[in-house]
Amino acid sequence: MQILIIEDDIQTAQFIQKGLQESGFVADHVADGELGLQQAISNQYDALVIDRMLPKLDGLSIIEQLRGQGFNVPILILSALGDVDQRVAGLKAGGDDYLVKPYAFSELLARLQALLRRNQPNQEVNHLQVGDLKMDLLKRQVTRANINIDLQPKEFILLETLMRNVGEVITRTMLLEKVWDYNFDPQTNVIDVHISRIRGKIDKDFDVPLLKTVRGSGYILNNPSHSTSSEG
Amino acid sequence: MSVFRRILQTSIFRLSLVYAVLFSLIAAAALLSVYKVAENQIKDQIDTRLTLETNLLLENYKKRAVKGLLEDINIYNKKEGRPFYIYALIHQSKLDLSRFIPTDKNTITRKNKTFASIPLGNIVEYVPDRDANEMVRMMLTKLPRGYQLLVGAELKEMQSLLNQLFKATLIAISVIFALSTLIGSFMAYKMLNRINNVTQTADNIIEGDLSHRIPVVSDRNNEFDRLGRSLNRMLGRNEELMDSMREVTNNLAHDLRNPLNRIRHRIESAKLEEVTELGFEQFSDDTIHDIDGVIATFNALLSIAQIESGEPRKDWVGFELNTLLDDLAETYEAVAEEKKLIWEYQVTDRLLMSGNQHLIAQLFTNLLDNAFKYSTQGGKIIVKAMKINDSNHSPQIAVTISDNGPGIPLEEHEKVFKRFHRLDSARSTEGNGLGLSLVKAVANLHQAKIHFSDNQPGLCVEVRFSKQKA
Repeated sequence: MQILIIEDDIQTAQFIQKGLQESGFVADHVADGELGLQQAISNQYDALVIDRMLPKLDGLSIIEQLRGQGFNVPILILSALGDVDQRVAGLKAGGDDYLVKPYAFSELLARLQALLRRNQPNQEVNHLQVGDLKMDLLKRQVTRANINIDLQPKEFILLETLMRNVGEVITRTMLLEKVWDYNFDPQTNVIDVHISRIRGKIDKDFDVPLLKTVRGSGYILNNPSHSTSSEG
Repeated sequence: MSVFRRILQTSIFRLSLVYAVLFSLIAAAALLSVYKVAENQIKDQIDTRLTLETNLLLENYKKRAVKGLLEDINIYNKKEGRPFYIYALIHQSKLDLSRFIPTDKNTITRKNKTFASIPLGNIVEYVPDRDANEMVRMMLTKLPRGYQLLVGAELKEMQSLLNQLFKATLIAISVIFALSTLIGSFMAYKMLNRINNVTQTADNIIEGDLSHRIPVVSDRNNEFDRLGRSLNRMLGRNEELMDSMREVTNNLAHDLRNPLNRIRHRIESAKLEEVTELGFEQFSDDTIHDIDGVIATFNALLSIAQIESGEPRKDWVGFELNTLLDDLAETYEAVAEEKKLIWEYQVTDRLLMSGNQHLIAQLFTNLLDNAFKYSTQGGKIIVKAMKINDSNHSPQIAVTISDNGPGIPLEEHEKVFKRFHRLDSARSTEGNGLGLSLVKAVANLHQAKIHFSDNQPGLCVEVRFSKQKA
């Protein structure tokens, strides 16, 4: 997987580059907008990480030009501008996700991976399966080893999010955005509580735990057999 | 002297001076015409009387000729008291009275009768006991054989009356002019004074003393008092904002100093000590935690500032508050169970309102966060929401969140909304003291009122939205 980082702060860029390389990506870096646009057009990248404020050509203009020329590569915008409005402007310009500085690298990685997965051909599914955990999206039923599991609506969406991203870290912020539609972090540990309730329902009475906490970044639902995660 | 000069320079004084002059001129014209009318009136009256007297004498003259006339004249002149009228029959050879008649009057003389005003000195020898300086109005009638009948009236009283009238007119005009100038100056002075108060207050504030206010009289409501009160309210608001800015800056500096200091110490000691892998893990976790706290503080401050700017009004939508609360309830009920708290949720009405949904969610999240933070095992958290009518019968939505925590003392009810205000003055508990500031900012944006009350024990927070059409 090839990623292009367009970021004028050299230290930040090197930090992201190093992190992505350690996670198995090939990461290129350019420091100004014009070069970034050229590079993005002339190479087949799997995803772009673009800072909003760049010399010569700003991030949003790069994205608009790329989208205008029909590039649909996933784009993650990085920005120090964090209002809801700025976020909306970024997504409107054609960005796929928006990350406000300062951020944790694990957050960036998780979001990038989610974007890459989203970009893969994605047929409509009505069933999700991770190991012996099955979710029927139409009947809104969840079973594990054929035992019915009763979930509250929020718990259902939470589990669905984790199951759709099986094997990938989902950060707390991502869960807040996807499940609760919050762009703020409640002081109360609502996520922990809900995760622990889901864990109590899907893992407690079974030998192999599926849901794991990744310290300092988020949660991951693992497929114990390492086989494909979702079925049509 | 400088006050006097300043008054002279004021536009109100100049205006009132123009008015004074104009008004005085109009008054003078009016009074002078009154004077003229009065003068003519008196003259006409005298002339009518003189004609009457003359006719009376001529009646007798017709019967008894000059002899009878002289008798009558003698009787009339000797009437008791000082008679107002003078009578004389003078032969032309002794004194030609017609020379007193102005030449122009001569031409219009009818029936040998002419009026004229003459000094008595010319004829004093023909009338007894008269002062030669007096002026008389005379009517001259020429009789056959060179006789001239003179009937005169003293002009002294008329003159003095007219003189008095003239004086009174002059005095009135001067008084009007003086008074209007004085009133103008007084008004200018008063106005200058009030404007000076404003200028003085502004100068004081510019010099840095923000507590100065424009003096106003509390039970008066003229335009200056209204202006003063408006300006004072503005100044008060400005001072409040400046104070809170200062306080925010101080508190921010204080709240940042602690985590930054911890980070610094940690890095220093890490430099000195041999760090184990486990120790490094702890070190970086603690440092990230501290930095995240600092970031959270900044984010909260920025959010509040953004909400206060009114910008989120762009995302105004109509929505069902009960659905939003249901969502929150589902989330927090799980937390209550985990913390072994009793959770009661009583929201059944359909509650339509308009606003920024994200911010309303954040408002209630912050209030619930506080309720959970200060509740201990076995405590009870109750969330209620309902439609109510206030005293004016306007529909409102009241949401209450109550807990059995330590509550907020009455004297802190207003202060807790200030940025960085903490009930725990040692600032040792978790939190940045911005949660309720954000609640207040969101409430203000939605024109909602927040009211704290004692839940005995604990805190009951009521958020009241005046119900808008969704």
